[in-house]
Amino acid sequence: MRSVYIHIPFCRSICSYCDFCKMIYNDLWANDYLDALLKEIEKYYEGDLIKTIYIGGGTPSSLSLPLLNKLFEIIKIFKLSPLNEITFELNVDDINEDILKILKENNVNRISVGIQSFNNKKLKFLNRKHNSKDIFKKIKLLKSYGFDNINVDFMYALPVEDMYIFKKDLKKFIKLGVEHISTYSLIIEDNTALKINNVKPIDETLDYLMYKYIIKKLRKKGYNHYEVSNFAKVGHQSSHNLVYWNNEEYYGFGLGSHGYINDVRYENVKNLVKYLDGEYRKEEYIVSLKEDMENEVIFGLRKLEGINIRKFFEKYDKNIQDVFNIEKALKNKYLILENEYLKIPEGKIYVMNEILNMIIK
Amino acid sequence: MQERIRNFSIIAHIDHGKSTLADRILEKCGSVSEREMKDQLLDSMDIERERGITIKLNAVELKYKDYILHLIDTPGHVDFSYEVSRSLASCEGAILVVDASQGIEAQTLANFYLALENNLEIIPVINKIDLPNADIEKVSKELCEIGFNKEEIICCSGKTGEGIESLLDAVVERISPPKKGSDNLRALIFDSYFDSYRGVIALIRVVDGSIKVGDKVKMLSTGSVYEVLELGKNTPKDKKVSSLVSGEVGYLSASIKSISDINVGDTVCLLGKEEEALPGYKPMKPMVYCGIYPIESNKYEALKEALLKLKLNDSSLIFEPETSVALGFGFRCGFLGLLHMEIIEERIEREFNIEIIATSPSVIYEVLLSDESSVLIDSPSKMPEATKIKKVLEPFVKTSIFVPSEYIGAVMEICQDKRGIYLSMEYLDSGRVNIHYELPLSEIVYDFFDKLKSNTSGYASMDYEIIGYKESNLVKLDILINGSVVDALSVIVHKDFAYKRGKKVVENLKKIIPRQMFVVPIQAAIGTKIISREDIPAMRKNVLAKCYGGDISRKRKLLEKQKEGKKRMKQVGNVSIPQEAFLSVLSVDE
Repeated sequence: MRSVYIHIPFCRSICSYCDFCKMIYNDLWANDYLDALLKEIEKYYEGDLIKTIYIGGGTPSSLSLPLLNKLFEIIKIFKLSPLNEITFELNVDDINEDILKILKENNVNRISVGIQSFNNKKLKFLNRKHNSKDIFKKIKLLKSYGFDNINVDFMYALPVEDMYIFKKDLKKFIKLGVEHISTYSLIIEDNTALKINNVKPIDETLDYLMYKYIIKKLRKKGYNHYEVSNFAKVGHQSSHNLVYWNNEEYYGFGLGSHGYINDVRYENVKNLVKYLDGEYRKEEYIVSLKEDMENEVIFGLRKLEGINIRKFFEKYDKNIQDVFNIEKALKNKYLILENEYLKIPEGKIYVMNEILNMIIK
Repeated sequence: MQERIRNFSIIAHIDHGKSTLADRILEKCGSVSEREMKDQLLDSMDIERERGITIKLNAVELKYKDYILHLIDTPGHVDFSYEVSRSLASCEGAILVVDASQGIEAQTLANFYLALENNLEIIPVINKIDLPNADIEKVSKELCEIGFNKEEIICCSGKTGEGIESLLDAVVERISPPKKGSDNLRALIFDSYFDSYRGVIALIRVVDGSIKVGDKVKMLSTGSVYEVLELGKNTPKDKKVSSLVSGEVGYLSASIKSISDINVGDTVCLLGKEEEALPGYKPMKPMVYCGIYPIESNKYEALKEALLKLKLNDSSLIFEPETSVALGFGFRCGFLGLLHMEIIEERIEREFNIEIIATSPSVIYEVLLSDESSVLIDSPSKMPEATKIKKVLEPFVKTSIFVPSEYIGAVMEICQDKRGIYLSMEYLDSGRVNIHYELPLSEIVYDFFDKLKSNTSGYASMDYEIIGYKESNLVKLDILINGSVVDALSVIVHKDFAYKRGKKVVENLKKIIPRQMFVVPIQAAIGTKIISREDIPAMRKNVLAKCYGGDISRKRKLLEKQKEGKKRMKQVGNVSIPQEAFLSVLSVDE
């Protein structure tokens, strides 16, 4: 079974760190955009059974209520598996009874809220517009509508932050009592306000200490560290994101989205005019066997449980240790092999690129 | 015919406008059209044009009035005085160029004396008279002080072309034609280069007799015999001719495949009519040595090939195989000086496309052992154990540093810092002095020139001569990375400077070597005694924090980039060391 990602490239304001495909919301464009989106889906969707849908952005919650209804009409085209997961991304400010009713009516069963921080200094740095005081109220409202699979995003390692601010901030996230927390150490990406303003990352040792603290604290509160940056209570891992890390196939629909279907990885155009004109794909290429096996490792080792080496053998008819240089890494304890799972120990996961470079031939 | 030939060189201090003046002369003689004219026409190497300097000598035939002029361009930098002496040996006259705004500099004098030694007719020229700060009066006075008459001096501008004609007239009138000797061929090989189609090409000056295509010739010193396939002249484009006669300068091609069959300075004679060899050149001894290693070890053979080809037209370059624990297989190379070294390194990378690591330069030390024997050391790694050493001698030089008098203090301070011993000072005129110091050559090969230039706002110029070996209190400073000595980082230093230097190198390395998966100690040691230590903390973070559907290609690119970066580093034990680390031992001053 495959998954579906749908990109809504509109936002009410632009965050300083964001390098996703996005633009300021415009009702007319958004309307035309949804028409084009439907055409793209009709062109490429093969009518197969879908296990997860993720509506992300941009800011999907920036859509007006009528357009939101229009979006959900479009999504009805997908044949859903009974055990489906439908995630919708929300900004704190956009959480209100009207929108929640629509989400509920359309069987959205997972919510991801872009909180990022409770600290006003951090929020200002990130150019996030919401007020930290509202957050608790809004999450409470979400819960009262019966949403019981909620993720919140938490950003750290900002240049405006020290250990004290960081710990206080994390404490508030824990207090929300949600099922899933995604934590992100700040990446200063090209073509973002941060990069243009020449913002420098914080010292890597401090960054690491913050990461270590997150792992320790969240574990104590019952969150399971299951991917480099993701923590979930039992049974609440993100099924959709696991598709990426398990190197499985998914459709990507919408401006600038990526997909992986029938061994082909593709990227959509980022130009709205082209997209509205019916030009969807910008680039596509067939993934070679070698690259596919590498992807299996590059993404699989992001999971703390690691890669099942038996499954690797079944998928590729090759032993993982014949394809990659894992012997030395095992000897140096950069990798461990336990009950058929090859994994990076938690204490080394923050330097996993180094380990990947060691093992990939 | 011979009466109408003039062979001459242009000599000058670096940057006094020699190549530009040559350009104007070429234009005046109509040997290039305006369309073909580009700056520094005789400097055919990219590096020469970019750096605005001449490295290789170049010979070109020109026509002026009824005369044939052979202009032999020369390098101005002290490192290349070997090339200068070669060009001068094939001339009867020289144009001595002095910048109207700078006056006589260290290499003006050095080249002037070389020309005198060769018994050349010297035409003094004040160049760049178009400059607003030109001081013709003062510069003429300086020229008169070294023995010229005011009437001899020609003023011109390589930029505007002013005075070029009177200069050419002077060349024709004052410089004597080549002397006529025996009718049997004697030609001097003054340069050679490798052409991938024609093999080794020799540049020759026919001193006696003549040579024509089809002649069987013999190289006197190597004894090898060839049939002449092609003769030609550079005008400045190659032009084939059927023969060259005495007094003429040109090239000779005889499908000579082996580089070792051609010796610059050798004499070419007709087979069966051998004459006495012409006086050759005194080859200059390399003064600076360094190790050159390919970054990718499979490029060793290519590097060897490149060095052989470079040696073909730069006989002052010497090299022999050397093995380093840290860097693998490479070569120990000897150079005339630092600039020479830099140029060779750059040419290997550029012209042969081989990425290299060069270790820090060293001079030749003489080590007297306790058993009364002695060894010459051109690399720190060859230094015997301290317990076996009785004493160490190093080469010293005597400097001539020309500088405006307000910088005397600055110059003396640098020399004093570099273990210099003050000898004397002469006033050239009221504003300028020539300072003589005795200095260890090893101090000069580090960063002496840079320091001298920066501390005198670029005014100082310098020349030096080797005066011999003297005992110094020298020690070998080793650098240990993760507990083992990295041979390529060892240096020989004066004991008094060892502590400061070791500390600085260790600090530099800490900045340059990236964090590894484990803590890496960096230590400086003399023998078994550790004199400085810094630790590189273990790597803490190297991960893409956020990685979802759209980040997959980005993640792959990032990994590939990191892997590529790793490849460019040298693996020493478990530690990846970037190339800059091997240069860091050079820049130890603040």
